[in-house]
Amino acid sequence: MIYVLYSIVLVICVYTGRHYWFTLNRLFGFQRHPYIDIDTADWPPVTVLVAAHNEEKVIANILDALMTVKYPADKMLVIPVNDRSTDRTREIIDKFVEDFPGRIQSFHRIEGKGGKAAALKDAMELVTTEVILIFDADYIPGAGLIKQLVAPFFDLEVGGVMGRVVPLNAGTNLLTRLLDLERSGGYQVDQQARMNLRLVPQHGGTVAGVRLSALREIGGWNENSLTEDTDLTYRLLLNGWKTVYQNRSECYEEVPEVWPVRIKQIMRWAKGHNQAMVTYGLHLLLGKHRATLRERIDGTLLLGVYAMAPITLLGWALALGVFYEGVAPLHGVIALLSLTAYAALGNLAAFFEIAAAARLDGTRKRVCLLPFLILGFSVSIFSVSRAAFSQVSDLITGAEFHWDKTERFRKVL
Amino acid sequence: MNPYLAVAALVFMVSLMFMLPLVPALLELRRKSDALPLNVVQQHAGEIRHFANSFRTYIHGLEAILQHCVASGSTATGALPDGEEYVVLGRADEPLLLALEERDTIHPVLIAAGVDLVVPPEATFSRDIYAGGQFIGGEKNNYRAILGEKNVHLGVSSRVMRWVHAVGQFTADLGCKLYGRVSSDSLIRLHAECSFLRLNAPRVEIGHATGNSNPTPAEASNGPGTPSRFLHDGDFEVKAGEVFGSGMVIRGNLHIRSGARICGSVKSTQDLVLEDGVAVEGSLIGARRMFIGPNCTIHGPVVAERELSIAAGTRFGTLDHPTTVSAPRIEVEEGVVAFGTLWAREYGQVVASR
Repeated sequence: MIYVLYSIVLVICVYTGRHYWFTLNRLFGFQRHPYIDIDTADWPPVTVLVAAHNEEKVIANILDALMTVKYPADKMLVIPVNDRSTDRTREIIDKFVEDFPGRIQSFHRIEGKGGKAAALKDAMELVTTEVILIFDADYIPGAGLIKQLVAPFFDLEVGGVMGRVVPLNAGTNLLTRLLDLERSGGYQVDQQARMNLRLVPQHGGTVAGVRLSALREIGGWNENSLTEDTDLTYRLLLNGWKTVYQNRSECYEEVPEVWPVRIKQIMRWAKGHNQAMVTYGLHLLLGKHRATLRERIDGTLLLGVYAMAPITLLGWALALGVFYEGVAPLHGVIALLSLTAYAALGNLAAFFEIAAAARLDGTRKRVCLLPFLILGFSVSIFSVSRAAFSQVSDLITGAEFHWDKTERFRKVL
Repeated sequence: MNPYLAVAALVFMVSLMFMLPLVPALLELRRKSDALPLNVVQQHAGEIRHFANSFRTYIHGLEAILQHCVASGSTATGALPDGEEYVVLGRADEPLLLALEERDTIHPVLIAAGVDLVVPPEATFSRDIYAGGQFIGGEKNNYRAILGEKNVHLGVSSRVMRWVHAVGQFTADLGCKLYGRVSSDSLIRLHAECSFLRLNAPRVEIGHATGNSNPTPAEASNGPGTPSRFLHDGDFEVKAGEVFGSGMVIRGNLHIRSGARICGSVKSTQDLVLEDGVAVEGSLIGARRMFIGPNCTIHGPVVAERELSIAAGTRFGTLDHPTTVSAPRIEVEEGVVAFGTLWAREYGQVVASR
């Protein structure tokens, strides 16, 4: 039992070190923003796909914003992918198509498999441009965002691009404020450090882009994936394409305002991520492909992020068990120290990352909320563990994954 | 001590220690003093002319005074609503210019001229300048910012701290230091020993450009639309005069020999060297240092992640297909022409042609 615990502590220490490495790189290392200065170019035609499933509360905002971005109007086509909506989404989209002829093309999907990947896959029949950008319907792109997301595609090695997500409803309540901090840590530090260190920035599936030829080469959207973004990241990587992160390409989004919605969201992410881990993990680490050694290691660690929650829970249980079982004193002390070390360092590493992100963002007081992150952390660890267990039980019982859309909170226009 | 009391005291102390870090958290949660969404620029796209446009809007209130001064050949002074003091000049040989002619002085007023403006040498202008006509600056001047509705010419060894925009041509004489943004609606010309950061104009000339001044449209960039690519792990060399039929991604050093032509975009994850007369129809991306030899023609964006050295006679983009050349540090020889943007994030330097 103690050796299992040692192994768990070792893995936790690796993740802790990773957090510190990323944070220190972000604070003191060389920052890579290679494509952000491309402001003049022969801009290529681009298709913007807006994934929409029952989005009457938000769809008009994003279509409005896209019609005012600074990108040659004759080179940008917006396709709202209306996936079997039962609310007013279709009506709103059709009104925009009417108001902006030639600039918005509707795609109303009335049947087929559920999920964003399946909807995007069907919408590909309308896409003819080499560069495709993807937004979820609750996002509000700024005037310069489209150019910024297109610019990296001038690099022939780039297959995918990811921008930064910023919560618009950050100040609503404790949950949104905690999610705001988490997003800061995740993007401002984690993603940018991976970009700096030439590791594996993750494609987020929204505020993002993909190269059509790369997408075709890897077999298109995987409709069986619960998180098509993670799936896309790894298939691009395994086929010699890079995903790049653009920290200065920021876009507002709406984060969940109630805990049940947040729990559902993180459980879906966990399931999708774990699904990708099972599918690509071993091949990424040991297989024959074009990823570099550092990409193999970082990519594997990234795949294991959501598996760490149940592993940590198991570690806690084992540590307590070992302690109360009264194993050899030395072992008992080591086990106790291990547990304490995790509590002191492991948690703090993530907190340190978020605090550094808050500083880099130039915020002042929101970092005071850091202690409350223990609440978000606790909810996450149990939700993600629950997702992992249900995934295993689904595997045994043969139950199918199903896709849960995240509820919106914006007032209907 | 009563053991129950001791336990209670212990619980109280532990609770207190646990709660202590939550006090500022609870206060912030209640006060919401820093709860607004992070500021994401929604309205503009980082255009180089942003400050110039804002300044034009800012001094819009002086338009009537400017017109009056030009019509009457007079001068006006005053303060804008935010308290900013100004001098409006209606004549080029304006008497108030006498005050500006004192050497080594600092002029802490906004200067708006409805006519051509010729400023004396060795002066510091710590507020923005608006020139309705030509702007001609003396030697060794220091400027904060200049907006010129016609040509703007800076004398030898002048410095601009923030930005310059010329509706006409912009010219910087020998040894000028341009710390901010420089833009023109027609042409920018920098002479030797000038340093720069961000330049944008339909045509940017470094020194006196010679040879083919505008590559033919037939050689236009094919940008990210290029679907085919040659992917190679390790160092690679393109032979002299070779025509390479697709784009290339080289995971190593790349050396392109004289006269080679790449019918697509080029990426190297390490150093990238282009010899004399190389033509690249797409973009040129280097993850480390990049050396572009003389008389090369690059049609798409050029990005070097560390350093970029450009030799005389090289052309970037065309008038119809402007592009961006970007690197943290750029050293560019006289005789180079870029159509579009030349952007040195940390430091750009013009050097004499070798």
